[in-house]
Amino acid sequence: MGDLLQFLVTGITIGSIYAIVALGLVTIYSVTKVINLAQGEFVMLGGMLMFTFLNFNIPYWFAILFTLVLIIIVGWMMELTLIRPAKGANPISLIILTLGASLFIRGIASMIWGKDSVRVEPFTANDPINIAGAAITPQSIWVILLMVLIVFGLYILIDKTIIGKGFQASSANPNAARLMGISPKKMSSFSFVLSAGLGALAGMAIAPIMFPAYDTGLMLGVKGLSVAILGGLGSAPGAVLGGLILGLIESLGAGYVSSGFKDAIAFGFVLLILFIRPSGLLGEKSVGKGGL
Amino acid sequence: MRGVKKTNWWGVASFIVIMLFFPLIINGSYYVTQGTFAGIYTIAAIGLGLLMGYAGLISLGQAAFYGVGAYTTAILTTSFGFSPWLGLIFSILVSALLALIMGYTMAKLSGYYLAMATLALGMIVNVIFVEWKSVTQGAQGLYGIPNPELFGFQITQGVPYYYLVWGIATLVIIVSMNIVHSRVGRALRSIHDSETAASSMGVETGKYKMQIFIFSAILAGIAGWLFAHMNYSISPSSFTFDTSILFLAMVVLGGATSIWGAVFGTILITAISVTVHELGQSFSFITTDFEHVLYGFILMMVVIFLPRGLFPSFVSFLKNFISSNKKSNSKRIVS
Repeated sequence: MGDLLQFLVTGITIGSIYAIVALGLVTIYSVTKVINLAQGEFVMLGGMLMFTFLNFNIPYWFAILFTLVLIIIVGWMMELTLIRPAKGANPISLIILTLGASLFIRGIASMIWGKDSVRVEPFTANDPINIAGAAITPQSIWVILLMVLIVFGLYILIDKTIIGKGFQASSANPNAARLMGISPKKMSSFSFVLSAGLGALAGMAIAPIMFPAYDTGLMLGVKGLSVAILGGLGSAPGAVLGGLILGLIESLGAGYVSSGFKDAIAFGFVLLILFIRPSGLLGEKSVGKGGL
Repeated sequence: MRGVKKTNWWGVASFIVIMLFFPLIINGSYYVTQGTFAGIYTIAAIGLGLLMGYAGLISLGQAAFYGVGAYTTAILTTSFGFSPWLGLIFSILVSALLALIMGYTMAKLSGYYLAMATLALGMIVNVIFVEWKSVTQGAQGLYGIPNPELFGFQITQGVPYYYLVWGIATLVIIVSMNIVHSRVGRALRSIHDSETAASSMGVETGKYKMQIFIFSAILAGIAGWLFAHMNYSISPSSFTFDTSILFLAMVVLGGATSIWGAVFGTILITAISVTVHELGQSFSFITTDFEHVLYGFILMMVVIFLPRGLFPSFVSFLKNFISSNKKSNSKRIVS
């Protein structure tokens, strides 16, 4: 019983991170129809920059702020220099474009930080809490809380504010949106800024648990993509649902089958779902029509 | 009029001459080894190029087929004492079978969904290489893979293996060009331009896509076979996501819409890798990481500035150059 609870908590924690990464992907996809394969690199940069700032003895909350701002600038630059010039390219070219960006960022990261994993202090004192035989670290609770806050925040932002209305409009029909005085260009920029911010938050939250290294972003980005695909591209509820499911499958697979095979189990599950439902769990309704 | 263009035998002939003379002009076993690798990658890249440029499909997991080809022959020759040539047949069969199974699974997918599915396949196969220790020896890999023999002559690493690899690569180029210029090639191009239009004209899109997917997997499998028998040992680290990306970079750089594009791209990427290696000996900041930064940069720049790839742009530049020269010559004659 203790084991099962432990696996469930681990699964939900890592699943929350996948969900945040996938939400970032969905945010960009719904406005620009671009799948950003460099999304995982935002997460990696989150952990690594946090480590660097803390090493310079910058106070914890300032370090978080600086990291967030820097990564948002990276995301904004990426949209400006890469996505905008390639506007209207086919999906294959866009995949290659963002894949190139991911390779580029990862290479630079390994030149700056080397190949070793780093240790980042948790948000608060990290003595595990024992519940029914399972040890739960406060950081896991922070991660899950962050995911819930992000989902709630995105809902408010997209559904209740004027920026969100513009966002939905340029997602549904960019030309009509332009006629209404909304700039799809600005919205495209905004989607990258928002998504880079989400990636940075996920990176900082998971850093104390995962010990980030220069190549952490690859696997997280790929898992985030499988979650976004699993849930049905463009569907935010699908991203959250897919993230939690994939996280749980991975941790249960690692616990009861084999920890070495956990990635194979997770990806095998994604293939299975794609075989049964080619448009993902909550796909169809939202794909192509946009909207979070 | 790409559809009616016939195989350009001048191109093939000049390519064969360059390939034959390369090891005679260049000395140093390092360059011959790199040239051999370029040949192996060319075979895999041509398969991926056919998939991307002609069928409009993307594979982010080509290293899976490459690895399966290498591991099949490595296991059969080391643990069961098969001859390498028998191993080749099995490498081809197993890669093709994997592609057939995956093809059925992915039949309904396209675009991002297909990219994800092939990516997942590549990851799963790599995990299996690492974890199925009783068969694959895990992360340390398999040792003692024999060199192939031909007419009682052992083809060892170096110049003999170079000729074996490029001999097979030349065959692959000729076969692929015939496919491209055949009914299948025309059908594939029509699928690439518009799948709906193609199927309404009676082209069985699913069948052709499946065939080209299996063919590209077979080529990757052959490349894997060559890779395994060139090296004494193989390990899972040669068949990771990075390898799939390397193949992709080669195709994208050269241009996917022509067989020569893949060849050109592969040779260019190998040349870049050799140059980085050379520079790395004199500048300490240039490492293999720098190579990745460079590949990433190349991918981004090619998509933005040369979406068709280098080779087609290079050819059209050359054609313009020649025709403008002719024009100015004829003008001179008139005046």
